[in-house]
Amino acid sequence: MQSGTMKWRKKWRIAVRNRQIYLLLLPALIALAVFQYGPMWGLQIAFRDYSIFRDISDSPWVGLKYFQRLFASPSFFRVLRNTVIISTYKIIFLFPMGVFIALLLNEIPFVTYKKAVQTMVYVPHFFSWVVVYGIFTSLLSSTGLVNQFLLHLTGNRYNFLSNPNNFRAVLVFTAGWKECGWNAIVFIAAIAGIDQEIFEAAQIDGASRLRRIISITLPSIMPTIMLMLILRIGNLLTAGTEQILVMYNAVVYDVSDVLGTYIYRMGIGKMEYSMSTAVGLFESVVGFGLVITGNALSRRFSASIW
Amino acid sequence: MHRRIHSREDIIVDSLACLIGLIFLLLTGIPFLHVLSKAFSSETALIANRVTIIPSGFQTGTIRHVLTSPMFIHSFLHSVLVTVSGTLLSVVVTAMAGYALSKRTLPWMKGITVIFVFTMWFNGGMVPRYLLMSQLQLTNTFWALILPAAISVYNLLLVKNYCETIPSSLEESAWIDGAGQARTLFTIVIPLSYPVLATITLFMAVSLWNDYYNPMIYITRSSMKTLQVYLRDIIVESQSDTTMISTDDINLLPEGVRAASIIASTVPILLIYPFLQKYLIKGIMIGAVKG
Repeated sequence: MQSGTMKWRKKWRIAVRNRQIYLLLLPALIALAVFQYGPMWGLQIAFRDYSIFRDISDSPWVGLKYFQRLFASPSFFRVLRNTVIISTYKIIFLFPMGVFIALLLNEIPFVTYKKAVQTMVYVPHFFSWVVVYGIFTSLLSSTGLVNQFLLHLTGNRYNFLSNPNNFRAVLVFTAGWKECGWNAIVFIAAIAGIDQEIFEAAQIDGASRLRRIISITLPSIMPTIMLMLILRIGNLLTAGTEQILVMYNAVVYDVSDVLGTYIYRMGIGKMEYSMSTAVGLFESVVGFGLVITGNALSRRFSASIW
Repeated sequence: MHRRIHSREDIIVDSLACLIGLIFLLLTGIPFLHVLSKAFSSETALIANRVTIIPSGFQTGTIRHVLTSPMFIHSFLHSVLVTVSGTLLSVVVTAMAGYALSKRTLPWMKGITVIFVFTMWFNGGMVPRYLLMSQLQLTNTFWALILPAAISVYNLLLVKNYCETIPSSLEESAWIDGAGQARTLFTIVIPLSYPVLATITLFMAVSLWNDYYNPMIYITRSSMKTLQVYLRDIIVESQSDTTMISTDDINLLPEGVRAASIIASTVPILLIYPFLQKYLIKGIMIGAVKG
């Protein structure tokens, strides 16, 4: 006990001596307390009958009422299902694309051409979702460029943007267009870190190009691939709320309404604050569990992620 | 990579890689070129669907109409205001804190880092955040967009990791010379940290400029729309509305106006793209690979 106090006093003295350093943390801590931890305090309205006409602390406790209602509502499960489906599609189709682009760039023999492709595929990452939506509206609308081709080829137009049958595919494709190039960066870095002598030795031993990709490049970046994949799966509940809020419309709600958009329409739109906070809390808790599990797993592949 | 021997296989793989690279180049480029051409094509070409990836019946009336329309100018300026002030605030606050957290040996620093990082994994969610903002009476003010930008934990970790790579001997020698901690920060640490400061500046600026989600939630007054919100309205309207907008000298199609608005709102991003390239890729490396 005595030594504990001594230790604490010693720490305190060091801290006081370096008070200027701690002072630098102050604005960030205030912002964090207000805008990050503040909303966490508000999470209690998931367990209260909150209304805007009274304070949070004046609202009566209702226990798990909203969670019971939630788990009894079919729309919640539809939304949860959409979230997992869209997110899974994005992992299955887009995650390998990042690896593929990195491998591809590594095989392009002309440096200038390689740089040009690389520069180009990064660009869409810096466009907003609204701009991406605008670009693809121009391409996919009934009078858009793609439908011009289809009209020539098949004589029919195809409805892409308000068709429940393919709207998820539109979401996955546009997300890929925007982010795949950018997602390749970390794999490009991993490939750049491979010892060139291994390639040269393999070449002398007569290993073919394809052989070298399969037996050297891929295994060398496998830890990075596994790490990124685990982290991505840890974010399973992030299906792309902002993208969907920008791109969806009432016709495709059934197939594209995800947790984030559902919370928005119920909470901000219909002002069902307690109910939508319950959905949000569910999302946060499950998401937290997944991320923590993912990080714990990823430590097996790499020392730490930060 | 040096390849001196060109086997038949080498040639096949090389040309295949170039070909697929070209496909990616076109897949990325054509959608943007298409919108660019639409913005500068005449309305007759648009109606006849003659526009592909080069302007047909070149004209600049549409883009001039967009750039002089009061709604576009207002929302553009709102976005500039939010982006510039939010970025300034964010960079100062985040850089200060990131530097402090890099002093890992000081008491409680690791604990404080955990307090920051925890918010990356768990948050209060949209509705409690919205209610907090209305309680603070920040809704329908630009502060609702600027103030929360003050702290980005991701950027904080970038700065922290970067500062940890600055040799402590440099700072110690400054202290020995009698410089205080504040002076050491300004004369030694900040000049050495330009790359990471540039990185977080660009990150923040791009995310504030492109943000649709927060303005949509916190700004409901139509006179206060930011650019992305205004742009989405135009895009949605243009899908159902095909009537001509007549101005003094030119008839405009909503489709053309939409394209020109997209182009005009992307220009700032494209202008800083060379810097984005240079710094962000370095930045994401610092973030992804523990330095």
